[in-house]
Amino acid sequence: MPVDIFFQLLINGILFGTMYGIAAIGLSLIFGTMRIIFIAQGTLIILAAYGSFWLFHLWGIDPYISILLVVPMSLILGVALYQGLFRKVARAGQFPTLLIAFGLMALLENLMFVLFTGNSRAIAIKYSSYALSVFGLNVSFVRLVAFAMAVLGTAAVTFFLKRTLMGKAVRAASESLEYAMLVGITPHTVNTVTFALGMGLAGLAGVATATTYAFDPFSGFVFGLKAMIALALGGMGNVMGALLGGIVLGVVENYGAFFLTGGWADVISYAVFLLVLMFKPEGLFSRDTSAKL
Amino acid sequence: MKRMNRKSLGLWIVLLAACAAVPFVFDPENSYIVYFLFMAFTYVALSQAWNIVAGYTGQVSLGHHAFFGLGGYVIAILWSRELIGYLDPVGMLAAGCAAAILAIIVGIPLLSKLRGDYFALGTLGLGEILRLITVQGGAFTAGPTGILLPSSSFNTLTPHYLIALFLAVFALCVTWYMARSKIGLALVAIRDDEAAAAASGINILKFKVLAFAVGAFLAGLCGALQAYYLFHVEPQGFYNLNWTLYPVLMCVLGGAGTLSGPVIGAVFLCAVFELAKYALPEIHPIFSGVLIILAIMFVPKGLVGLKLSPMRGRKKGAVKISEPS
Repeated sequence: MPVDIFFQLLINGILFGTMYGIAAIGLSLIFGTMRIIFIAQGTLIILAAYGSFWLFHLWGIDPYISILLVVPMSLILGVALYQGLFRKVARAGQFPTLLIAFGLMALLENLMFVLFTGNSRAIAIKYSSYALSVFGLNVSFVRLVAFAMAVLGTAAVTFFLKRTLMGKAVRAASESLEYAMLVGITPHTVNTVTFALGMGLAGLAGVATATTYAFDPFSGFVFGLKAMIALALGGMGNVMGALLGGIVLGVVENYGAFFLTGGWADVISYAVFLLVLMFKPEGLFSRDTSAKL
Repeated sequence: MKRMNRKSLGLWIVLLAACAAVPFVFDPENSYIVYFLFMAFTYVALSQAWNIVAGYTGQVSLGHHAFFGLGGYVIAILWSRELIGYLDPVGMLAAGCAAAILAIIVGIPLLSKLRGDYFALGTLGLGEILRLITVQGGAFTAGPTGILLPSSSFNTLTPHYLIALFLAVFALCVTWYMARSKIGLALVAIRDDEAAAAASGINILKFKVLAFAVGAFLAGLCGALQAYYLFHVEPQGFYNLNWTLYPVLMCVLGGAGTLSGPVIGAVFLCAVFELAKYALPEIHPIFSGVLIILAIMFVPKGLVGLKLSPMRGRKKGAVKISEPS
């Protein structure tokens, strides 16, 4: 295999994978504090993508400017979702929360299907087809911006978690909710913030998706599943691991798609997912195995 | 318990006989009720299959459509190669067994981890893997178009109806037997407190895998019946997430972890869906999502729980969030 194709695939894989990465970080945060497997994440990303799409389509708002609208809306949605749906059942164990997320996914998918039809949508703007040439490798402009958004998003979340008091509370709550409560951290506040943060990242991922891929109401499920894979690869409740897991998944998929015909690449990524869940559930990048319990 | 059972046993037999008589009283070609009950019975069996795994054992499986689809495909592949015939019990048994074997293979590694999240995630991925493999399967699975079966063998819905009734009753009996026997005690113990169950000498993995395999077996049978009914087995329809979504909803709405919950849920929701299809054909799938959420939030014990309080009342109060991270 020629070297330039090797690197081309690698770069595409990394750019691709960061998208899974930001979705996975949202999942990771929500899982970390609330132990909720939020399988509706992908569908909410698609909802945000629709938001960006319609802002562009109806009012001609540039998708990158629409971030200023979509992300705050997503934050608000996150607060609403937690307060409206999860607050009541947050302590009732995984059974109800998982099912609520499942119901939310079904609801949103079908709602979008009815409102926006099942047609595949994509934002076609003048810079959609721009490509940069670096060392003879082609890098799509919109994907590079998506990558930058993912990195900035991750950096912002990391900064929030490490440097702010609320972020420290979130981390404390995901370490041990009981001890966090003992030092005066209110679980509902922390959960609300985490949910808002997760949805904010979903909003960011949604805009990035809208600019780079075609999507329809049901593509969120597969996207969410890929984010789950990234999360499983990185280890649950691990922010950097989630991003890395996404990148690994993107790279594996790209090489897979090159060597095998398209459809088999997905089989490979799910197989990797199942194998990791089966044999290394603490994730590929986890250092302490105590997270397994 | 015994005395009540004898009385209700008589009631059940009368009900069963009435159900079995339906296709002979009503004309199965034109009558809507035969079709409706056929679907309802299939869903009763499917929700019961999920109930055994999630309701009794507390392991949320999101991959029942994988077993359902596998069951359908076993029938389609075997029948299109003329290894089995129309409505062949051997074929249906093979379909159920294939699903159960898959459940054991996937279940052992997934269920041996302590945390249930991996199980939910893994089973969710399983359906997607099977769908993709089927799409890519070439001549063996006939790819995305699916396998067309000789529909000329169809002449009446009556056998399908009776098989669906049998499956529903069979699923009920299996659940009833499991719930009453030592197995059921072990399963409920695992659901309520896994560590304590293990400390009492229950082989947790064995029972979890057993429940999962039984659930998969039943789901495979339902898929097989559906293949004999539709005569066209294709990946999009048979590996559809709805085959997990609807049974989950029926189970939760009716009351997960109870014997009658899934029955009530399945019949009730089938009626709601049919009405919604008739009245609001476009938007009825939205309701299933809304209903799941409302059911969890406001009737967490299901419709059954509204009347009598089953023994799982303790579960909601249990603080599960304090699992060490």
